[in-house]
Amino acid sequence: MQARRIVSLFLAVLLVTGLAGCAKPSVENGTDPPTSAVVEEDASIVHTTEDWPTYYDPGVGSDYSDSTTMVNVYDALVFPMPDGSIRPHVAKEWTVSDDYLTYTFTVRDDVKFHSGNLMKASDVAYSMNRMLEIGEGYAYLYKGVVEKCYATDDTHVVFELSQPFGPFIHSLIRMLIVEEDLVKQHYDLTDNTYGEKGDYGKKWLLTNDAGSGPYKTKEFKLDEYFLGERFEDYFLGWEEGAPKYFKISGMVEPVAVRTAMANRELEITDEIQPLENYMAMDAFEGVDLVTFRSGNTFNMMLNTKAKYTDDIHLRKAIAYCFDYETLRTSIYPGAGESRGPVATVLPGFDPTVQAYSRDINKAKEHLAQSKYAGEKITLNLTWCAEVPEQEKIALLLQSNLAELNIDLIITKKPFGSMIADAQTVETTPQISFVNFAAPYFEAGGMLKTRYHSSSCGTWEQMEWLQDPELDAMIEDALSTVDDEARFAKYAEIQHYIYNLCPTIWGFNWVERRAVQSYLRWNAIDAMNQNADYFMPMGYALWAHDMKIVK
Amino acid sequence: MVLRWLQRIGVYFLVLLGLSILVFVIARVIPGDPARQALGPRVSEETVQALREKLNLDKPLFTQYVLWFKGAIRLDLGDSLLTRRPVIEDVRRYLPATLEIVLLSAVFMAAGGILFGIVATKYTGKWQDALIRVLSYLGIVSPPFVWAVLFMLLFGYIIPVLPTTGRIAQSVAAPTRMITGMYTVDYLLTGNLAGWWDAFKHLLLPSIALMLGGMAQAARLTRSNMVENSMKDYIQAQQAYGVPEKKLLYKYLLKPSLIPTISILALDIAAVFGNAFLVENLFNYPGLSRYGLSAMLNKDINAISGVVMVFGLIFILVNILSDMVVAWLDPRVRLMGGADV
Repeated sequence: MQARRIVSLFLAVLLVTGLAGCAKPSVENGTDPPTSAVVEEDASIVHTTEDWPTYYDPGVGSDYSDSTTMVNVYDALVFPMPDGSIRPHVAKEWTVSDDYLTYTFTVRDDVKFHSGNLMKASDVAYSMNRMLEIGEGYAYLYKGVVEKCYATDDTHVVFELSQPFGPFIHSLIRMLIVEEDLVKQHYDLTDNTYGEKGDYGKKWLLTNDAGSGPYKTKEFKLDEYFLGERFEDYFLGWEEGAPKYFKISGMVEPVAVRTAMANRELEITDEIQPLENYMAMDAFEGVDLVTFRSGNTFNMMLNTKAKYTDDIHLRKAIAYCFDYETLRTSIYPGAGESRGPVATVLPGFDPTVQAYSRDINKAKEHLAQSKYAGEKITLNLTWCAEVPEQEKIALLLQSNLAELNIDLIITKKPFGSMIADAQTVETTPQISFVNFAAPYFEAGGMLKTRYHSSSCGTWEQMEWLQDPELDAMIEDALSTVDDEARFAKYAEIQHYIYNLCPTIWGFNWVERRAVQSYLRWNAIDAMNQNADYFMPMGYALWAHDMKIVK
Repeated sequence: MVLRWLQRIGVYFLVLLGLSILVFVIARVIPGDPARQALGPRVSEETVQALREKLNLDKPLFTQYVLWFKGAIRLDLGDSLLTRRPVIEDVRRYLPATLEIVLLSAVFMAAGGILFGIVATKYTGKWQDALIRVLSYLGIVSPPFVWAVLFMLLFGYIIPVLPTTGRIAQSVAAPTRMITGMYTVDYLLTGNLAGWWDAFKHLLLPSIALMLGGMAQAARLTRSNMVENSMKDYIQAQQAYGVPEKKLLYKYLLKPSLIPTISILALDIAAVFGNAFLVENLFNYPGLSRYGLSAMLNKDINAISGVVMVFGLIFILVNILSDMVVAWLDPRVRLMGGADV
């Protein structure tokens, strides 16, 4: 009798726990339903992994997995090419006014959204205005630049700028186009964040798309993966062998990635695996290692307003005593030499800028010229907890500085805390480690974001340069529309910054991924032909041009 | 009796209250600005400030807690900064997956632990006993994530016979009706045996990785208690009366020997929820523990509080259950008013 009661009670508790916790979640506002999409066993799929979470609403997303997913689901007016140039995409052509303040784009009339509706110029204007109003994602690229955006008819859209902006066309690779009518149908009006626009469709666009890109959403499980299915009506058409599905999962655990690669459950790995894991995967039969240079750089930012690092000679002493070779051979093998403030792969980089290299005698000379010569110097360094390899770099720098009798106190902090520290000169440490990704492939974006005074107080410029002369030079260069003239001005700026030595430019990133050999991918072809393959964040994994050859 | 239970429930309520305060404060004092982290480093300060206000982060900590608590008693745990959904909806979505894994672990743990304990007792001093003891030590000293990595490499890579990621294969459709949210149960209820088998295979490695430590503990305890009890007078007397060995073992020896095992099993089952944080992440298994880990790494304050409170509640429920089972097994506990059964 008692036993029966116990069993009944146990079952009752199980039932209550189960039903309370397991009731069917609501699917209001279009959040992903708890079902799983079926992919046929023999279907061609490109499955890749990336750090999670992913937000693919073009008004919201901006990091690596966001960008990768967005460029596969949405289209921009222009498209980046591996050589750093830009080609028309959704825009057929464009004209620029004489004062370089008005850009008029002619939008193709054969671009279909996933809903089947044709894209109109008003969709482009709506997308830009929505992005600016939300203020998230890549909006920072256009804030203060784009004053007005509107359509004049179904195929013409006008961008009015507040000032001439040379890299404007380059920056448009980040302005992805949503279908206005569809998004408007999904405004959540119970949320009044954006007034009469409710939530601007943000909740719905978390797991649904309103795009025209090569892949349409088949399923998006917010905490797990995005699964896209080929959009057969894609305006660029399809070649034979193009993958039917594109999947990106939030799975970066080395063992899981390695096992999935071995079992052919994964076509391309993420780029953040430990080196040993890439080496192990490279040894698998049918798996290749692909490396290509990216526009990312590793920076040791020196706070030029803090004691000790405010002295240019001390900064140069640090620059000359650091062991770049060990960094590039032992910690980040294969990484490219960093030469000044602009990534070497970016159009506008000046090849005459030289790299700082280790020269302990020069370091000692500069230290002797410093106003702090003879003092016992102790510096503070913060590295980013999310990037464990940085600890090795910090220790390397510590041992190098010891040769100059400089002490280095190393602190590990989450990136969120580093951002908070960057808000004032006083809280910014003397040295901060930051990886920086160019938002679009052009030197101007990097120079403005990294060294213009407007970025002081953010993580992007912990140097606190606040140099009016430099600001004027950057503004002048950015407002120069002629590429040749602008690049000449960029060159001058790069030399100017190089001489100030506000940063120890560690290295240019090399993106490394393990890939199944049955995958045809432009990055592999470029590597095999010793050609360069520079694609801005996300565009490298544009699955439309990939092929599965089994 | 009723009073004693009311007292106990009062204590549990206080535990939950204390836990809620603790986790609420910890989630907010650890470094990093949740609003900034949610919106990204390049979003303007005004946009970030607006989110801070929406999250009440601009208010004093005490006011923030009161507002959160008022919501929590209405089952409104706020919105997750990561999934941008209400936390309670995320809990409903991810908890069944974790419950499924934990329940299977619990079954393996209890059945395996008790079975190995009995076998070791029966063969005390022989090689079977020695082998079980050595394996038990191995189970106890190795944390579940180590087993998880080993199993992944062994059964996913070297002998690829079991799936190592997710809840079901991409080629298998999810249950047509979500009744409990636990795929194995829902497949059975909807009569999809192929789906059930696929979901069950996906559960095996994480469940086994999670239960080994608890099973080893249970086996050792069962064995030592059975050996100890077998020396007692009442067992000697039963033997002298010629009670058959099987009856003696299962009816008179096992039942009293299980009491400490049950108590420890309850704690071990509750601990599985904690260990699942790493194991679910390794197997890319979309459960509440993995969700909780993402929440912690991304400083998703509402989700952190929500997950910890749910696990706290489950911990208490498991303890109540264990008290009841112990009371059933041990008349002394019952008679002293340990439980109203």
